[in-house]
Amino acid sequence: MSEIGVNPNQKGFLIDAGRCIDCRACLVACSVQNEVSNTTTRIWIKETGVVGEFPNLERYSAPYHCMHCDDPSCVSACTVGALQKDENGIVTYDADRCIGCRYCMYACPFQVPNYEWDQMLPLIVKCDMCVDRLAEGESEPACAATCPTDAIMFGPKVDMLAMAHQRIEDNPDKYVDHVYGEEENGGTATFYVSPVPFEELGFPTTESTLSPAYSNRLITHGTPAVAGAVAIGLSGVYLTIKHHEEAMAELRNDALAVETDQPEAEEPAAETQESDNDQ
Amino acid sequence: MINKIIKEVKSFSIGYYILAAIAIFGLSVAAYRLYAGLGVTTNLSKAFPWGVWISFDLSTVAFSGGAFTLAALVYVFHLHELHPAVRPTVLAGLIGYSSVLVILFMDLGRWDRAYHFLIYPNINSALFEVSWCIALYSTILLYELSPVLLENTRWKGVIPIIKKWTIPLVIAGVTLSTLHQSSLGTLFVVMSPRVNPLWYSMLLPIFFLITSLAAGLAMVISGAIISYWVFGRTLPENIIAELAWFIPWTLGVYLVLKLGELLITDELHLLFNSGIYSVLFLAELVVGAVIPMILLSFKRVRHSRVGVLTASLLVLAGVVLNRFDVSWFAIKPVNGQIYTPSWMEVAILVGVLATAVLAYSLVAHYFPVFEETAEVIEEKKARKRRMGRILHPRAAAGD
Amino acid sequence: MLDTKISRREFLKVAGVSAGALAIGHMLPVEVAQAAKEAGLLDASGTGYIPTTCEMCVWRCGVRAKVKDGRVVKLEGNPLHPHSLGHLCARGQAGLMNTYDPDRVLTPLIRVGKRGEGLFRQASWDEALDLVAAKMLEIKDKYGPEAMVFSSTHNLSQVQFENLLNAFGSPNYGTQRSLCFNAMIVANQMTYGMEEPARSYADLEYLILTGRNLMEAISTSETSILSHAIDRGLKVVYVDPRFTKTAAKSTDWCAIRPGTDLAFHLALLNVIVSEERYDRAFVEKYTVGFEQLAEEIRPYTPEWAAPITDINADVIRRIAREFSDAAPHALAHNGWRTSNFENSFQTERAIASLNALVGNWGVHLLPAAGEGAGPLGVPPQPPYPRASAMRLDGVPWKYPLVPFKLGVFQELRDAIITGKPYEAHGWFIARQNPVQSLPDRGRTLEAMSKMDFIAVVDIFLNDTTWFADVVLPEASYLERYDPLLVVGDKVFIRQPVIQPQGDAKSALWIYKELGKRLGLEDYFQYVDEEDYIRQQLAPLGVTLQEIREEGYVQLPVEKRSEIEYEWNTPSGKVELFSSTLDNAGFAALPTWEEPPRPPAGKFYLLTGKVGRHTQFATQNNQLLHKYQDEPRLWMNPVSAKAMGLADNDLVKVTSDVGEVNIKLLVTQAIRPDCVYLTPGYGHLSKGLTTAYGVGASDSVLHVTFTDQISGGQALSQTFVAVQAA
Ligand SMILES: Nc1nc2c(c(=O)[nH]1)N[C@H]1C(S)=C(S)[C@@H](COP(=O)(O)OP(=O)(O)OC[C@H]3O[C@@H](n4cnc5c(=O)[nH]c(N)nc54)[C@H](O)[C@@H]3O)O[C@H]1N2
Ligand SMILES: Nc1nc2c(c(=O)[nH]1)N[C@H]1C(S)=C(S)[C@@H](COP(=O)(O)OP(=O)(O)OC[C@H]3O[C@@H](n4cnc5c(=O)[nH]c(N)nc54)[C@H](O)[C@@H]3O)O[C@H]1N2
Ligand code: SF4
Ligand code: SF4
Ligand code: SF4
Ligand code: SF4
Ligand code: SF4
Ligand SMILES: [Mo]
Repeated sequence: MSEIGVNPNQKGFLIDAGRCIDCRACLVACSVQNEVSNTTTRIWIKETGVVGEFPNLERYSAPYHCMHCDDPSCVSACTVGALQKDENGIVTYDADRCIGCRYCMYACPFQVPNYEWDQMLPLIVKCDMCVDRLAEGESEPACAATCPTDAIMFGPKVDMLAMAHQRIEDNPDKYVDHVYGEEENGGTATFYVSPVPFEELGFPTTESTLSPAYSNRLITHGTPAVAGAVAIGLSGVYLTIKHHEEAMAELRNDALAVETDQPEAEEPAAETQESDNDQ
Repeated sequence: MINKIIKEVKSFSIGYYILAAIAIFGLSVAAYRLYAGLGVTTNLSKAFPWGVWISFDLSTVAFSGGAFTLAALVYVFHLHELHPAVRPTVLAGLIGYSSVLVILFMDLGRWDRAYHFLIYPNINSALFEVSWCIALYSTILLYELSPVLLENTRWKGVIPIIKKWTIPLVIAGVTLSTLHQSSLGTLFVVMSPRVNPLWYSMLLPIFFLITSLAAGLAMVISGAIISYWVFGRTLPENIIAELAWFIPWTLGVYLVLKLGELLITDELHLLFNSGIYSVLFLAELVVGAVIPMILLSFKRVRHSRVGVLTASLLVLAGVVLNRFDVSWFAIKPVNGQIYTPSWMEVAILVGVLATAVLAYSLVAHYFPVFEETAEVIEEKKARKRRMGRILHPRAAAGD
Repeated sequence: MLDTKISRREFLKVAGVSAGALAIGHMLPVEVAQAAKEAGLLDASGTGYIPTTCEMCVWRCGVRAKVKDGRVVKLEGNPLHPHSLGHLCARGQAGLMNTYDPDRVLTPLIRVGKRGEGLFRQASWDEALDLVAAKMLEIKDKYGPEAMVFSSTHNLSQVQFENLLNAFGSPNYGTQRSLCFNAMIVANQMTYGMEEPARSYADLEYLILTGRNLMEAISTSETSILSHAIDRGLKVVYVDPRFTKTAAKSTDWCAIRPGTDLAFHLALLNVIVSEERYDRAFVEKYTVGFEQLAEEIRPYTPEWAAPITDINADVIRRIAREFSDAAPHALAHNGWRTSNFENSFQTERAIASLNALVGNWGVHLLPAAGEGAGPLGVPPQPPYPRASAMRLDGVPWKYPLVPFKLGVFQELRDAIITGKPYEAHGWFIARQNPVQSLPDRGRTLEAMSKMDFIAVVDIFLNDTTWFADVVLPEASYLERYDPLLVVGDKVFIRQPVIQPQGDAKSALWIYKELGKRLGLEDYFQYVDEEDYIRQQLAPLGVTLQEIREEGYVQLPVEKRSEIEYEWNTPSGKVELFSSTLDNAGFAALPTWEEPPRPPAGKFYLLTGKVGRHTQFATQNNQLLHKYQDEPRLWMNPVSAKAMGLADNDLVKVTSDVGEVNIKLLVTQAIRPDCVYLTPGYGHLSKGLTTAYGVGASDSVLHVTFTDQISGGQALSQTFVAVQAA
């Protein structure tokens, strides 16, 4: 797990649901930047809808895309390693590798990875923090750059987190005292502040502050050991019993040599087996 | 030759034709699915990217657990008496796994890259592990079965060489099975936020492994009894009883772990206050575990064909329900969206199942799958006659 | 959003029409790319950024267009441009999809079927232009130049469009203005002697927005600045019968009864005057008519206004006090599309007076130069012929105070139908969609059916183009030059970033070529687009190359050290009492005019922009379509319940002039006596494959009502009945 501040290159988002006006410029910008087909998207708007009783109404919204988790479940899950966390903390997607198993879609606690359902040979559609765009020297991803209200801010992850807390501190009456993304799924690179509780915006609430990727790793990393143990154990059992049986058989052969034509000879053998079963 | 085939085909009963029709229809839909993509053909969605196919795969793999359970018992634990069940079970396993592979292929968006899982490893991925294990294990099953398939052919000569490697491969196979049966449970560990807490557990891999043991045994038993009715050939009654004897133990361990875990995580209350989930969960445990456990702890039941079959079928039903629960029914909906399979998803599944049954019947018809069973029965009778001779256990294995 | 609101079926339908749309490519352009390379904008591989100007709406943000291999792949907001401030709105971002829309018209078309049948054949420019010129000359010969009607909506090549019609000699010119902002412009002129003062949000503390839905009817910079101002604590009072996205960001939302904004503002004036909360010094020094105003508004107490507006008297009084307390850091926004009721002009007068009373001039209201070429050069040309005929739109003979420039488009349309005072026979339309933007679509179609000949310059087969006889395809804004644009102290360029696709041509080229064929070449003294711009730049001593590289040139800044408190009114002051209005026989002071109310069982029909679309022009843009919610008729749950209607029910909406069927959206976000329909849907043209069949057109329902003073169309004055369809 990467620690905030360890890598100064780590970039992050601060998204302010208090600012977002649901204009969806970010959505369009993302589609153009990343050539996302018209039937899918990498980014959504989460919203409260119009709530309250006329005329005392409220309405909030915020864009929603990959959180770029510190310990991403999707990366753990991906069968073929098409999803990776790069050195800048960006969770990237290698379209040439993906086999379309859609495990990542289930693994992501934020339900971020999207899919080209209408394609014959579909790919996953997921925000990659505009990694190519950043590599070309643009200072911000497409969504952040265009946002007319600067509801999407982008910069060093540490700064974004500090700013998130600063905003809450400066406006305690306006914002809910929670930076979404700071602890969710074990920490992410996308921080949100909001005037309404995040559940009302339709954000998933994660009960644990630890990424399931962690539990998953505990198990999958144990696997070679388990496999080894099972194989060795089985071989051991096999050899032990075989040895035992051969010894028994020898005994019997010896016995046979002496007691040829003895009738009820089968019985003891059957009994032996019975007792084997009881082991 | 052709005439011979035609004649042969004509001799098939109507059942074969029906199966073949279903299979052809299902496989045509499958072809359409590959062409048209998942969106048009399935009801899968962002909220439910996996559907009935995955539930089917999980259930089938669990059922096919019979093959590794039996192989372990026979070859590793030297319970040679059970040997007659090996061939039909391995065949069932192989066909089961093949169906799983076909359905997985259907499920892969990029089926054109199915081989990628072989060349791009992610050691953290349970699915990577599962894919590898299933692929390897299917190969081993094929290997185990190859003597049967080769017996009456001109390659019969290689059979002894094949058999020489049986033991290490069986051990490898059992190891792989242990791994992937449990890894299938691990699959859902990283999905924890989506899985209903009644089912979610860090112990899922162990739960899956144990239930696959129970399912495997139940499968061998019910397979044997059903084939007695269908083919008139079966395992000796005492062997069935012996197999059945393992089941209550397995289920007992399972129940203790499962309830114990809920107790420790302080989630026992969920058992009764989770609405439909409580019903599903209790159904799974009571019908699939508690009742068969009680039934099979009676010797009388273990020795009654109907009794054993009933209990085994309950176990199987419980395991199927469990796999469907974990992978489908107990997945938390997103935005109130739920999933029900499309007719095409079901058609493909039914088609593959029909193909599987057809394949099983045909192989059983043309290859000496049960022969050995009959042989053994004969032999046993003969043995009884040739009193005084000590049956070397390995003789029964046909070595 | 995509995965929740669009049902699977719709999702697939969208998929069907749009698959692979972004991938439509075209040949590596030679000239544009070559020139851009020479200008150092593109590297050797043809990749780079070219500065230009957005044309997805009239705000015209600065754009950096990313070009790769002759394709424009991304548009960025130009940080140096005061209208974009580095951002683009959703429409600006989607701009390249307009250019690459598979439904673009890329060759001239000549109608072959019946008008409105949609059957055209492709033609060469020569053939098409010859035909248009021949028809126009024929009409001129037979009926005089006034029988040719011209119409066009605000755009950068409009100067040359106007040049064409003026040279041709027709007085009949229709623009969008009377459908949009006549009330505001005329009221500002009467009060301040200028079209629209500039607004400053710096240090602004209190803002009243009257139906100015800035968070949805977006002007990138103003939306952005307002948003930041709210962030730092600006208090916003938002007055609108709908709970819009602007309402959601405001401190107060006043769910006012439509058409009663005037009462609300009169009551604010009343409190401010009666409690002596105005800026006495400013009023005395710079305004005329305060005494009369004070007298006039005496009866308009908050208690008087409350039952009219449905806004609590205490709330009105509080707002008036807060507003005046914050003054001069307070602003009553004059709005933009102020064509709501026949009394909207008086509302605008009240708003203008309100600002003057609190003395925010020079602080938050600043004198702004009207639009014009500024210090730019113009190609030489002979004087225009005198238009001898009177204007069909009634300016000034029926509407004495409506400036010529604004006109009364809906009246022009109706005069075509009645044939009075004379008959029109031809219609030349550029960059405009009157079939949808004018109220009462039925009448607009009737007017078109009276025409011997219709030519349209557009980039799509929009609803108007659908009824054209000849379609002249313009190059899109990313494919052409337009005349330069002065914004503040800078001059910006729109230049091609890719080669025009197909046979599309710039308007500058089209008008010149047509002018030639009409024998008017003396009015089009430029060789080509670049030459035109060179002539514009000449007085500045700047080369085309320079402005192409930078995207703009800086004008010499004339230091305006002190705000000049001089207004271009007859009195030279802010006219609370307008002598001009008085002389014309209209109310010289903002005064109450009771707007009509819907009869029992009927609703006010509201219209208003959505963030993803511009008017009637972008519904076919696949990227915008992708992210726009399905248009439905908004209705308050109380009303829906009373009528036994539920969300998503199909309803029939009937007005005095038309009816449409549309799905219902039951929402708290609207007054129970109103319904709202997103404009711009319900297209007639099947040439718009993405938009066709979506939603319904509110223009079908709108009844034509014209304000006698400003000539503005009253778009909220239509009442409709709603029933299950
Ligand atoms: N996204 C987007 N932005 C645009 C445009 C666009 O098409 N799309 N168009 C541009 C143009 S040309 C213009 S003119 C501006 C227009 O921008 P605005 O001036 O904001 O005009 P509208 O959005 O047409 O209407 C604003 C509001 O007026 C409300 N309304 C209706 N009747 C009344 C009434 O009687 N009283 C009050 N108080 N409110 C009323 C409606 O509910 C609506 O919410 O937007 C510009 N910006
Ligand atoms: N019901 C209703 N009516 C309204 C309004 C409303 O909100 N509701 N709003 C009113 C307002 S504020 C306004 S400003 C008017 C606007 O009314 P219009 O100006 O008539 O409407 P637009 O949709 O802006 O028309 C622009 C046309 O230009 C075309 N076009 C786009 N790009 C280009 C280009 O590069 N070159 C050329 N030649 N053509 C191009 C488009 O295809 C479209 O046909 O409508 C008014 N009418
Ligand atoms: S939000 Fe989801 S997709 Fe993104 S990094 Fe985290 S787990 Fe992966
Ligand atoms: S769908 Fe692709 S990216 Fe997602 S887990 Fe499977 S292979 Fe990895
Ligand atoms: S960072 Fe880039 S990829 Fe991610 S949502 Fe924003 S625009 Fe899309
Ligand atoms: S661009 Fe900004 S304001 Fe608009 S929807 Fe996106 S985050 Fe919200
Ligand atoms: S406001 Fe939007 S559509 Fe209008 S010019 Fe600016 S970016 Fe373009
Ligand atoms: Mo407008």
